[in-house]
Amino acid sequence: MRNQRSVKQEFLRKWITGLRRYSCDEKKNMSFLERKKAIKLSADIAMASTRDKTTRWSQALIANASSSGDTLTGSSKNNSSRSRKKMLMMRRRRPKVKSAKKEMSASCIAKRLVEKRTRKLKNLLPGGESIDEGCLVEETLDYIESLRAQIEVMRYLVTASQLIINPYP
Amino acid sequence: MEHAALDSIQFNEQIQGLMAPAPESTNSFTALLELPPPQAVKLLHSPDKAPTGSEKPPCHASILKPYPSIMSIIDGTRKLTFPSNTALIERAARFSVFAGEGPLAPPVAEVKNEPPETDSNPSSTQCDPAVENKGAKRKEREKKVKARSKKSKSVAAAESSGDGEKLPYVHVRVRRGQATDSHSLAERVNARREKINARMKLLQELVPGCNKISGTALVLDEIINHVQSLQRQVEFLSMKLAAVNPRIHFNLDSIMPNEGASLMDSSIPNMVSPLMWPEIPNNGNREQYQQPWQFDAFQQPVWGREEENTNFMTPENSMLSYDSSANSVPLQSNQLKMEL
Repeated sequence: MRNQRSVKQEFLRKWITGLRRYSCDEKKNMSFLERKKAIKLSADIAMASTRDKTTRWSQALIANASSSGDTLTGSSKNNSSRSRKKMLMMRRRRPKVKSAKKEMSASCIAKRLVEKRTRKLKNLLPGGESIDEGCLVEETLDYIESLRAQIEVMRYLVTASQLIINPYP
Repeated sequence: MEHAALDSIQFNEQIQGLMAPAPESTNSFTALLELPPPQAVKLLHSPDKAPTGSEKPPCHASILKPYPSIMSIIDGTRKLTFPSNTALIERAARFSVFAGEGPLAPPVAEVKNEPPETDSNPSSTQCDPAVENKGAKRKEREKKVKARSKKSKSVAAAESSGDGEKLPYVHVRVRRGQATDSHSLAERVNARREKINARMKLLQELVPGCNKISGTALVLDEIINHVQSLQRQVEFLSMKLAAVNPRIHFNLDSIMPNEGASLMDSSIPNMVSPLMWPEIPNNGNREQYQQPWQFDAFQQPVWGREEENTNFMTPENSMLSYDSSANSVPLQSNQLKMEL
């Protein structure tokens, strides 16, 4: 697996530069919810950029963020549009599943259950709707790992900033 | 290939810069570095013709004694064909940093190589973040290339045999050079299934509590729950961060005196880690969302007056007792008491 420590450091650095851009741009005080959105968005983008667009979920995350008119992802707009087109094309290529048989055998039930869950997992993953099942497992693995790293870094920052505000004498 | 060529060129320049006549002062070092590479190569190629040629072999011998491989390369052939060996580049970096030459620091940062782990030279701490950055990026790039090649293969394989599982008739488009007879098709489908099963096993190991479950649907359920809880944790933490700081710009200069140092090793996490509660339980979401509001509430009075430890402890304790997620809370309160 990747070197977790360097990934966390890179993520932290990118996140902080992203946040600094927020604080430079808007001098007015943002509301609580806006701040939370900004923090989460910059964290997500920073995490996605540590993967540097090798995985589909990171591409999709950045694409979604740039489509919503965010200022932080200006440079990656070209790549995101290209990747989105690729994903749409892939979706059109794959034919829809037509279930010819309607008998309720055990294997059919099992298959249906698994299909339901894979669909749910695909919805959870950013950009996961048009992922092939073989890649789905890989992407989930990667996504879970990155989420964990992100959570650890965020937790560290939370406790550190709390310590700064209320230092122990 | 270009990458390798670029590496070799830079390595070339670096070695030439280092091989410069050392008996002169450091000013001449910089002078040599500013020389275009061919001139430096000339100097290197014809040590006897150069004015300081007599002193060159012993000086570079003394400097390069611990690196016999480099010496053999330089002494052996006239032609400078440096292999783009990462080990050599690493050694060169270490050597250059070890020499402690100030003017050498920028060229070190330019070369894309892994940062020396055992470096303790204070003059190079400035170039460390740049080198480390490039080193991490290079590692990532290598892995990305491997991952990309792997992914392209798996995507192609999936496209070629993915339809086979869904439709009753197997219409498979294969890559160039592969047969479409049933045996190889079946083999490929089986190989793909095995790959997917192997990855599922990896996922099972990664997600806590999935090892004992048998059956794909339940395992997938667990995985979905885990991903959802992770995403919720991200939301919660970002909300907390927004609550703790009145403005977005974190006062981080006090946390990170030097950007390049490993953050996870500094002293603050050692102090902080007893405070960080362990895995937030999956079922405690409702209470978690209520926590930040309480945090905000009791932070104000603490700011207002200069409090002693006792006053600080009681609101914290009351908040902790309110929280009913059993595992994490008593642990945290105990650790807090230990801290104070």
